[in-house]
Amino acid sequence: MTAYAVTALDGLAFGLALFVVAAGLTLIFGVMDVLNLAHGSLYLAGAYLAYLAYLFSHGSLVGLVVALVVGVVVGVGGGAALAAAVRPLTGYGHLHQALATLGIAYLAADGYTVFGGAPVPVNPPNILAGSLDLGRHGYPVYRLLFIAVAAAVALALHLAVARSRYGVLLRATVADPGMAAATGVNTRRVQTAAMAAGSVLAVTGGVLAAPLIGPAPGADTTVLVLSLIVVVIGGASSIGGAGSITGTLAAALLVGLVQTVGVLAAPTLAPFALFAVLLTVLVSRSRTAVQPA
Amino acid sequence: MTTTRPQTTPAAAPVHRYPRWRSRQLLLGAAVMLAALALPFVADAYTVSIASTAIVLAVLAMSTQLLTGIAGLPSLGQAAYLGVGAYTAALLATVGGVSNGLVQLAVAAAAGAVAAAVTAPLLLRTRGVLFLMASFAVAELTRTIAAQWSSVTGGDDGLHTPPVTVWPGTPPLRSDGYAYLYLLGCFLILVVVVAVLLRSRLVLALRAAADHEARLAALGYHVNRHLFAGFVCAGALAGAGGALLVAAHGYLSPADLGLDMSAMALLAAAIGLGTMRGAVAGAVLVVAVRDLLGTPTGGHAPALLGLAFLVVAYQPAITDRLATWKRSRQR
Repeated sequence: MTAYAVTALDGLAFGLALFVVAAGLTLIFGVMDVLNLAHGSLYLAGAYLAYLAYLFSHGSLVGLVVALVVGVVVGVGGGAALAAAVRPLTGYGHLHQALATLGIAYLAADGYTVFGGAPVPVNPPNILAGSLDLGRHGYPVYRLLFIAVAAAVALALHLAVARSRYGVLLRATVADPGMAAATGVNTRRVQTAAMAAGSVLAVTGGVLAAPLIGPAPGADTTVLVLSLIVVVIGGASSIGGAGSITGTLAAALLVGLVQTVGVLAAPTLAPFALFAVLLTVLVSRSRTAVQPA
Repeated sequence: MTTTRPQTTPAAAPVHRYPRWRSRQLLLGAAVMLAALALPFVADAYTVSIASTAIVLAVLAMSTQLLTGIAGLPSLGQAAYLGVGAYTAALLATVGGVSNGLVQLAVAAAAGAVAAAVTAPLLLRTRGVLFLMASFAVAELTRTIAAQWSSVTGGDDGLHTPPVTVWPGTPPLRSDGYAYLYLLGCFLILVVVVAVLLRSRLVLALRAAADHEARLAALGYHVNRHLFAGFVCAGALAGAGGALLVAAHGYLSPADLGLDMSAMALLAAAIGLGTMRGAVAGAVLVVAVRDLLGTPTGGHAPALLGLAFLVVAYQPAITDRLATWKRSRQR
């Protein structure tokens, strides 16, 4: 029984990691109407940053902080570059935008081969490497901290979208870009900002979650597909609305639990379980129609 | 296709020119066919194995084109049905002891169709870019199942399959050259099937659904039933491609149904601009870029593929801008 409780805690951490990445994907999809297939590559950039930080700072906390700062810079730069890359394709359909981001993802994957073909282990900073006694089981301190930090990020995101001025601008741009522009909103700037913010979420999520979902060739695809599943389950049609953050959070936690507790309970059935969840959600919800232009 | 860029429809050709255009196409087709037939007699084994891979991808590209270019459902997950067909063929060969390639082909196509029918209720709830997301998710989940259900699929170690036979009592096709010619023959059969399909009412309805789904529904068509039928056809085609994959390599692992396979098929379909022969040409081009150019560049095949994706993605935008620029210069 306690084994399940510990695994459920793992599921919480895993789900929150997925939430941070998927929230960025939802933001980009909602505001720019672009499916960013390079999102997993951004995560992987963050995870490799954490690896380099651990390697060169010999596991000090300063290394992690530096990695986070660099991650924010990489995220803003990567997001702005992606926005610039995707903008000329407006009006040419989603397929061309998806192909462009997929091309960027392949180029990035080729770049990551400098880290070799095997997974590289990333440990949390030495101060946070211990474990805390929870009843009869020890639990890594870093994971508990990660859960706290990611939950804070979720709360901050929710408040920013639902309550702040920027959230209002964001929601206006999602709901009706033309009308928002007519009332004086610089939608272009909002879009670039959303792309940058979404990318920052992916990269910093990668820095923080590297000890959980470690950097490896192919990890970009894994993270991308799990985030896509989260976005689809979380209600891709209500993106940008006040409910979207909660929807994404619920979906991320569900996927996180299926991927950890589900795997412990029935290893071969877990992928089928994700299938079943996808099917149930998509069929029970009214059709998420995107009418062809 | 849901692109909004202006279609450049050519002016109606005069009637007397039609036969010449037709005969030129027939000549080109015959030349390509002859070259493909002659390949194993003139090229080395490596080139022949690359050509076999190109045939498999061409079948998957046709399956992807049926959805992406014709029905307007951009799919990044056709490798799932290729995988179902491939594992069916491989298990038929190893556990079932059926070495006849044509039987494998038929059963694999049926398995691909069944898998498509099972997942269609899920996928056909979505349109456009959400379909792209959901199909990718289904393919990755299928790959995960193939990797984890190791008692049946052999897990990440994969399955080795014996060479196929063409006719009961004939010896198995051990040499790469014969296997290639067998693949070419199967490919031609599938091309004929697709050509018949393209002239069917179903494909007409699929094209209409891509152009304006609401209007088709208003005309009294059950759009989702037509999309379901089209999706099952695409699944069967991909499943048949899976049987060819097994016959080509004699080996199958979950890596064969990963993102790379679906992405390359989508790229080939996009190169083909909505046509089937374009998708086939695109598949040959993609495999050539990855395998023929990838080796001399020291294993930077992903970068080459990435560049190919970018070229295809930006080509219409760049062409349009160049045209606008030229027009503004002429004024």
